[in-house]
Amino acid sequence: MPLSIAEKSYLYDSLSSNAGTRPDGRLPHQFRPLEVYTDFLPSSNGSSRIIASDSSECIVSVKANVVDHQVQQDLFQVEVDIAGQRDDSSEVETLTSLLNRVLESRGSIDASKLKLTRKYSYKLFIDVLVISSSSHPVSLISFTIFSALNSTYLPKIISSFDDLEVEELPTFHDADMVKLDVSPPLVFILAVVGENVFMDAAANESEVADNGLIITWSGDKIVAPIRTVALNNSDVKGFNPLVLQRGIQMVQQYAGDVVRAFANL
Amino acid sequence: MSSIISIAKRKGAFQQSIDAGFESGSEDEDVNMSDSIDNGPTHTQESNSTEGHIVTPGELVTDDPVWMRGHGTYFLDNMTYSSVAGTVSRVNRLLSVVPLRSRYTPETGDHVVGRIAEVGNKRWRVDIGGKQHAVLMLGSVNLPGGILRRKSESDELQMRSFLKEGDLLNAEVQSLFQDGSASLHTRSLKYGKLRNGQFCQVPCSLIVRSKNHTHNLPGNVTVVLGVNGYIWLRKTSKMDMARDAPSGISAPGPSNGAPIGAKTLRSSDSVSITRLEEESSWQIYSDENDPTISVSLRQTISRYANVIKALAFCEIDITHERIVSAYEASMVYPSVGSLIDREVMETIGQDVLTAEKMRGTPS
Amino acid sequence: MSRFEIYSPEGLRVDGRRWNELRRFDCSINTHSHAADGSSYLEQGNNKIITLVKGPKEPSLRSQMDPTKALLKVSVNITKFSKTERSKTSHKNERRVLEIQTALTRTFNKNVMLHIYPRTLIDIEIHVLQQDGGLVGTLINGITLALIDAGIAMFDYISGVSVGLYDTTPLLEVNSLEENVMSSVTLGVVGKTEKLSLLLVEDKIPLDRLESVLAIGIAGAHRVRELMDSELRKRAEKRVANSTN
Repeated sequence: MPLSIAEKSYLYDSLSSNAGTRPDGRLPHQFRPLEVYTDFLPSSNGSSRIIASDSSECIVSVKANVVDHQVQQDLFQVEVDIAGQRDDSSEVETLTSLLNRVLESRGSIDASKLKLTRKYSYKLFIDVLVISSSSHPVSLISFTIFSALNSTYLPKIISSFDDLEVEELPTFHDADMVKLDVSPPLVFILAVVGENVFMDAAANESEVADNGLIITWSGDKIVAPIRTVALNNSDVKGFNPLVLQRGIQMVQQYAGDVVRAFANL
Repeated sequence: MSSIISIAKRKGAFQQSIDAGFESGSEDEDVNMSDSIDNGPTHTQESNSTEGHIVTPGELVTDDPVWMRGHGTYFLDNMTYSSVAGTVSRVNRLLSVVPLRSRYTPETGDHVVGRIAEVGNKRWRVDIGGKQHAVLMLGSVNLPGGILRRKSESDELQMRSFLKEGDLLNAEVQSLFQDGSASLHTRSLKYGKLRNGQFCQVPCSLIVRSKNHTHNLPGNVTVVLGVNGYIWLRKTSKMDMARDAPSGISAPGPSNGAPIGAKTLRSSDSVSITRLEEESSWQIYSDENDPTISVSLRQTISRYANVIKALAFCEIDITHERIVSAYEASMVYPSVGSLIDREVMETIGQDVLTAEKMRGTPS
Repeated sequence: MSRFEIYSPEGLRVDGRRWNELRRFDCSINTHSHAADGSSYLEQGNNKIITLVKGPKEPSLRSQMDPTKALLKVSVNITKFSKTERSKTSHKNERRVLEIQTALTRTFNKNVMLHIYPRTLIDIEIHVLQQDGGLVGTLINGITLALIDAGIAMFDYISGVSVGLYDTTPLLEVNSLEENVMSSVTLGVVGKTEKLSLLLVEDKIPLDRLESVLAIGIAGAHRVRELMDSELRKRAEKRVANSTN
């Protein structure tokens, strides 16, 4: 978003001061309200749509296929489409690989929950569509994936588990579904301005940030990947490790609340 | 109320149902073959729609050839049809349809806030949220060095030293081009580059055109309400204070002999400089903010930004009085950040409207 | 014995409809008021599409600008998850999608009063979240609604329907099952008239059957127009009532 020099310096002075005043007066760890809609695509196993208060919007569909897990190692595949951007743009490709890594990483999602038989498992295809976004979308996308996976239903298997000897494809119940029981990870993105860190940075805050932190949370703790990210096109500034620690502490303190907020219907 | 994040969740639907009595559309409609016989546009029962009546594209508004056709209409033979979804407006002999929603349409004299989009040949192109960018000619701005300073060729080459891409300014619409786009000017001290504050935006339909668009608010904050919905909140400047206080009070120095409006140099007050000097100063294009903006002032500005967004959320027209009223209503919430919550915004909107009803102020 | 019949002797189709029944039609406008100037969300049968109209606005490329009229641009994003079977490849540069975009652009170029908005760009973006046959007809309806929501001047509604031909019986509004087994056409009908703004025929149709196909199609399109119009009016009335405070 274009800002004038005067605007940027006003914002920077406010955010980098000891008081860390945000343009909308939020606390550093405070999120803006979200609207979440789920279960609106009957042709997908799970679907979710999140609209942020700045009208950023993301839609995620989860579809399952049965695969032979002796052949197919990856049981998750995330694909990202950002409206108005080419599929081979660097932003899209970076996001796709980051999200795949988040879901694949050990300790993130329990692959055994997808196991059907000794030979076959479900593979989940997670398609992300970002309709509009005013700042870095990774957090919004991860929240949407989180709520999509939490409302995914998979057909119930009725054939036997032990199929290594018998050449039999899994068969499923016509109507019954089983809710997918996983606790998906969450990706938080923090803006670094001076010595301060802020969660859920608005577009104008991102525009003046010195740097950004991506911190992943899964199963009640911080997990990999953790990385820095540029939130705007100006030169990124280095920060001292205390800032990283502050960011990690903030996520540790408040990520649980975010998970709980999603769980409360 | 210290929740970190507020999530409104709805299962089984793509969006909120628009209203309670939402008709979910007909299930498997039977279509009769005999429905469509006519070959031309159908005549409605009453061919003269009443004032304020809602019409949709292709609908006959009138078959009376007397009317002059304005915006939102087109005619075939002697029939006038609507080209947008909106309300019919009959003013004198002009028949037009006002669309329910549209982008900001500039009118001469509008006080707008705009952002420089492009620097061109002797002109800037300014984003004012309309269908096209507005034009700000080099000759329509005050050049540092005095009013009588002539435009030189070097000015054309250093336009970016005055205004560059991204700069925010307030200006007045001087005139309109044939295609409806605007030509702006900043030939007055009250217009020009904006600094010492932050920007916010509301739908342009919520800003009412009035005589004055710059208002001083309690808490040492000044707001510039652009008719195009672009709003600037800043620390009240000396000029802002002087604008409100009539000149006789702010400069008590000279006695009756001095002409009204003249400010005299007073050694005790380093503020007063002549208007001429101010207009020619390079300060008008400076990008530097006032270094003395305190934390509490920043918080006040944030609070004002939030209450303005609350008024916009409740679709309430934004006026100077309502902003003050909303600010006062918001003081119930000591934490500025709590004002972003949906319910709080609705409460503040309600409070403003209730306060108005009680005072008997026309809305 | 087949498990289902495309058109049973009693006159019932696979989803229980009769030959002249429309699918469920559910639309809303102004769904993305901050992200776009005009927007609509439309569910026609199991088709679910989001349409966003951004503009008239300054074109991003000066070369695109036309000093006499607006430029209309249509982009259709068919998501990989729109069908029951997830698509392996992206539909972005698929020839069929490009053809649909061109057909839609041409149709609305004639209907929108482009000369009122010179030097501007009207950008129409459609996201197909789910599809189940008769997609182009649904796209037409979504665009009409979103353009009207944006306040962009046009001559009339354009309503879209699909019609299939099963042997000699025309079937109004085909779903994907029906689309796969029979020929079908898509119509874009202007307002309440019998004029066609778009006729899309990609399969073989015997000419002597065309008239009956068009007749039920036009009637169906008129009904669709009524449904869109009633939703728009309801919205408009609500808005006018609100703005008097």
